[in-house]
Amino acid sequence: MNILKLVADLAATTPNQFEQPADRRDALTSLGRFGAKTLAAALPLGLGSVPALARDTRTILDSLLLALRLERLQNAFYTQALTAPASFFPADTSIRASIVKMQAHQQQHAALLVRLISTSNGDVPAQPRYDFTGSKNNTQAALFPSVFTNFDDFLTLAQLLEDTSVRAYKAMVEFLVQDNYILQTALQIHSTESRHATRIRMIRRQRGATVKPWPSPADADITVANKTAVVYATEHATTQLLADYTSVPFRLLPIGSGANILTESVPEAFDEPLAADSVEGLLNLFTL
Amino acid sequence: MSNNLKKGGDEAEFAKPLYVPIKRRSFFMYAGATAGATALLLSGCDDDDNGGGGMPAGTVSLGSGDVGVLNYAYALEQLEAAFYAQIVATPYASMPADEKAALTAIAKHEEIHREFFKAAITAVAPSMVIPGLTPDFSKINFNDRASVLGAAKTFEDLGVGAYNGAGKLIKDKGYLLLAGKIVSVEARHAAYIRDLITPGSFAGNDVVNAAGLDQALDVPTVLTAAQTYIKEKINGDNVGK
Repeated sequence: MNILKLVADLAATTPNQFEQPADRRDALTSLGRFGAKTLAAALPLGLGSVPALARDTRTILDSLLLALRLERLQNAFYTQALTAPASFFPADTSIRASIVKMQAHQQQHAALLVRLISTSNGDVPAQPRYDFTGSKNNTQAALFPSVFTNFDDFLTLAQLLEDTSVRAYKAMVEFLVQDNYILQTALQIHSTESRHATRIRMIRRQRGATVKPWPSPADADITVANKTAVVYATEHATTQLLADYTSVPFRLLPIGSGANILTESVPEAFDEPLAADSVEGLLNLFTL
Repeated sequence: MSNNLKKGGDEAEFAKPLYVPIKRRSFFMYAGATAGATALLLSGCDDDDNGGGGMPAGTVSLGSGDVGVLNYAYALEQLEAAFYAQIVATPYASMPADEKAALTAIAKHEEIHREFFKAAITAVAPSMVIPGLTPDFSKINFNDRASVLGAAKTFEDLGVGAYNGAGKLIKDKGYLLLAGKIVSVEARHAAYIRDLITPGSFAGNDVVNAAGLDQALDVPTVLTAAQTYIKEKINGDNVGK
């Protein structure tokens, strides 16, 4: 089906699309953009989400570099938190131990990604510097002024970063299909990040936050418009598409009744991807 | 519970809108000028549509290719849905309210996953959908919290490992994304259940290795583990092939 889809896109592409000199990656990018446009024109059913698969044509290297940015940032975030005095952490020792575990995983992921990028002949970027208050070294208003002094603020940002990670890897996997090893590795990191996110959510819940172990429309909003709101934008989708682009008729399926089934249980049952540019926008808030 | 492994009946009603001819026809109408290209695009959808007979009675074959992977997921989701439905129907003594709410929510998620896969397979290869499976939970004591949560942990970690291992078997990017949308929810369930058993065990060394990677399991490993809880013999020899 993918090959047929590509052939369909090629058939609809005008010859001058290929006339400009371009390296392979540029050619793929412009083909991808044209493909998205063609599909959008072909499906005026308001299916804005349909061409999502064709809209972005990132290479495996692009995806690995984004993953490295994510992992380095989270590693730095947890590493810095773990330098805080013992009084920063709750009395329940399993909580600090969980942060230690997550930091170790992020460090392991970053190291693995550096190896994968190097062996793919990619350039490993220099380690960035961060300001987790979001104030860009006091040049603008802080988003999390007490991130390393108030444990609840720390947890809030931790949840935003972990949930973003899950969404970022999910969006990435479709660009990794050419390489089974990298694809599976990304999936294995993806579900590890998901486990982290749930642990953070459960700690927050124990501390009185209105939050479920999984992203839910019932969660209290912890985001700031135009800044962190992107983390849960489109996450609570109430529809899913099948291979023939029809929507799954959830309301007709034998999944029980009740006011919250379609508006809460369905969106909870599916985590949604987050496009790379949105992920980068979020990371930029904390990167100097 | 009997509701959760229902065979037939319900299929006709919800499946109908998915393939009545008018739907396909109107789709082409919307496709307008590029109808030819779109028809080409869609023609790939039905190529897995071949029969799966030849198995001994009582054996359920998951089939081959992407449909095989979807049936594989459908089988696992059937098992999980039936398991959580049983927990909700016969809760263990003094189940805390918060725990009950979460386990009930998980039961809903798994039921939705099960029906989602059935709809997804029905949309492309209606003759290949495996039947409702008969669970065998005789080894689980639903009156005992430790027994129930221990089994839940097994099912959730197994599900995560199954999806992680199946990713490379999936050919269609759309299905790969859908599997990705579900596996992270299963991982959230797994972390939740693990932390109910032992706080801080959400990503224990038994599932996440020294490189920080969650487990990826192959089809035979998963089916061998799942078979204990399913009466029919499941054959997954051609999943993804």
